[in-house]
Amino acid sequence: MHPEKKLTERESLELITQMINKAKDACHSTGLAAIMWGLIIAFCSLVRLAEIQYWFKLPFDIYLLTLLAIIPQVYLSVREKRKAKVKAYGDEFIDYLWLGFGICIFLLIFITQAVFTAWKPAGEEYQLLAGHPASFQFYEFSASFFLLLYGLPTFVSGISMKFRPMIWGGLLCWVSCLAAIYTPVKADLLLTALSSVFAWFIPGMIMEKRYQKAKKELAAQHV
Amino acid sequence: MFKDLDPILHSQLRLAVMSLLISVKEAEFTFIKEKTNATAGNLSVQIQKLKEAGYIDVVKQFRDNYPQTTCRITRQGIRAFDDYVQNLQSYLGKQG
Repeated sequence: MHPEKKLTERESLELITQMINKAKDACHSTGLAAIMWGLIIAFCSLVRLAEIQYWFKLPFDIYLLTLLAIIPQVYLSVREKRKAKVKAYGDEFIDYLWLGFGICIFLLIFITQAVFTAWKPAGEEYQLLAGHPASFQFYEFSASFFLLLYGLPTFVSGISMKFRPMIWGGLLCWVSCLAAIYTPVKADLLLTALSSVFAWFIPGMIMEKRYQKAKKELAAQHV
Repeated sequence: MFKDLDPILHSQLRLAVMSLLISVKEAEFTFIKEKTNATAGNLSVQIQKLKEAGYIDVVKQFRDNYPQTTCRITRQGIRAFDDYVQNLQSYLGKQG
């Protein structure tokens, strides 16, 4: 490119369009974090389903895996930030959205545990007096709260990035949230696994594929 | 009446740099160099001109012991770019 080359008006407009497209192509995020979270949530839900279905109990809560996953998440985020040569306008917004989501999830875990613990003695007393368990069981509804939250950052990120697989994934979380109110716990767990695959795992795979493609194209330009 | 096209922007490399920076929040020098296929020397001179015109901010720092230059467009740069595109469109509209 010549520094002082004068352009015709048409050439100028073409150059502007070409450069804007090049900048857009460079703003691909890796999909690794989305793939990881999609797999972990689906795995945890299916293991919990297996525990209920086959009457066994692991010596630890399988959802503790989500706490462990924070370590690779931090590593991936730091690595991605360090490697990024360009910052898009929406990057910061999406980062804080997911950080807020993470905080809400851990608050929700705390709240549901507190409600469950508070309700348990009343439920046991009811069973003792009535001779059968109470028809209301709080855990029957907890999946809906989580799916409600899963949908929000997924949908907003999808809209913000103009990335349809995430928009559909977010909407599926909300449909599952509604369905989980009326379905038994086993179905709730299946819905959670399904939602995490469609909201994160599949969009993550598509993002990673696009990122690798853009990386290859960039490398090919500099052979 | 047509306004004269901004001479700072009406050159191939400077326009390419501004078009890249208008689309992103900030970009490293190496990124701009890759996308424009310019040499480091040429690009440095043109970036300096854009900086002197007040169209971009340039931050030089060290990261992992390597120098890193980051550029971002200023409000004045956005206005100038916007005017430039509008003038181009009116020229082309008149010709077409």
